[in-house]
Amino acid sequence: MKVVLEVSNLWKFFGKSPVLRGVSFSVREGEAKVILGPSGAGKSTLLRCINLLIKPDRGSIILDGEEVTAPGVNVARVRSKIGFVFQHFNLFNHLTALENVMLGLIKVKGMNRDDAFKVARESLLSVGISEDLWSKYPAQLSGGQQQRVAIARAIAMSPRLVLFDEPTSALDPELIWEVLRVMEKMSKERMTMIVVTHELGFAMKVADEVVFMDSGAIVERGPPEEVILRPRNERVRRFMERMQYVYSLK
Amino acid sequence: MSLDKLLDLVNSYGSFLLNGLLISFYLTASSYLIGFALGVLISISRAYGPGFVKALCQAFVELTRGTPMLIQLFLIYYVLPRVDLALDPLPAAIIAIGLNSAAYQSEYLRASMSSISYSQWEAALSIGLTKLQAIREVILPQSIRIAIPTLANELIYLFKYSSVAYFITVPELIYVSKFIGSRTFLYIEVYSIIAVIYVAFSIAATEAFKFIERKTSIPGLRISARL
Repeated sequence: MKVVLEVSNLWKFFGKSPVLRGVSFSVREGEAKVILGPSGAGKSTLLRCINLLIKPDRGSIILDGEEVTAPGVNVARVRSKIGFVFQHFNLFNHLTALENVMLGLIKVKGMNRDDAFKVARESLLSVGISEDLWSKYPAQLSGGQQQRVAIARAIAMSPRLVLFDEPTSALDPELIWEVLRVMEKMSKERMTMIVVTHELGFAMKVADEVVFMDSGAIVERGPPEEVILRPRNERVRRFMERMQYVYSLK
Repeated sequence: MSLDKLLDLVNSYGSFLLNGLLISFYLTASSYLIGFALGVLISISRAYGPGFVKALCQAFVELTRGTPMLIQLFLIYYVLPRVDLALDPLPAAIIAIGLNSAAYQSEYLRASMSSISYSQWEAALSIGLTKLQAIREVILPQSIRIAIPTLANELIYLFKYSSVAYFITVPELIYVSKFIGSRTFLYIEVYSIIAVIYVAFSIAATEAFKFIERKTSIPGLRISARL
């Protein structure tokens, strides 16, 4: 299947300390890739490099055959093709749910208000945000609703790829469920996505491949059952044991 | 100070006072708007501009805040003619006071911009907005809202302080009162009248800005103090 994203030998330094140390992987069309790993492993930095919110120091990123890390690339255009869902939702505080979704359609895609409204309506409905919430401001919505609006904002732009940066880490358990359900549905509809998360259940159900990062490098990768249930790497095994303690109901 | 004298004053010099008031309004409104427009540009340049623009704007703000407005007024009115840029008193005053206000307003806006969290900026860029669009669509609308009380403050302050234009013969409120005073020797009466006008303006401006603040407040957004 077609490769959407190819990351090769990506390095990033904050000051002198390396945060990413030669990360390479590729994502095929329709694939859901889940990135696991302890905090400080460089997962968020990796996502931010991919949509150029952070400029990598070395290595290349190729999106749809175009090297976006090359000099002179229009970063705004590249970002408009990549959706980003943040841990803390980051909805625009001064805009309603509907306006949050419409802003990019109007300003980036150049749609008129009517067309933008139609697209925004579809996106909001697809994440289960009903019409009575469209005129609400972010501060009037629950965390789960905010995150679903944020997902709608990302998918309304019909991106080639959506990046999720710990999308449920700031949510209560029941709200985690409603957001994960939406993400699972997106994956079933063959949306290409990279998900940084600690939700192992979600990774087991949805991931085509799980990548485990530690100290800025990929230390293990494979199908979710392998990496999560039968890890080979010692660091990964220790991580999974701790996860077992936290999440196991037995 | 008797009521008769006051009424007499208003009768004979009412139109003078009214003219002075209108000039003061005009002077205040024009320089306030110039100050706001430039203030927005300066604050954006200082927050997001390249290094040399940042330095230039900072130098402007420091110099303007660090010198008395009267000197800036004199510079523009008396020194510019030497380079063949003679201005009438009123335009000279509008420019001088406008520039002065720009320095202050840019600082108010810069402070409110820095209170907008970085995540709003990231989100704006992530949907493909350019930096300019992100500033215009996301950062400015939120930071101007936050700056409303201080912007109100600036307007009230300007209405009073714009009376320095008196020194370059702009016939604003203080100027006409002095004139009326010198003619009638009713200094106390005429100054009392304009004091009332100043207070009335201040109260009206405060209420107007309160109204704007209420109208533009973001539903549900909790702030630590509700005044």
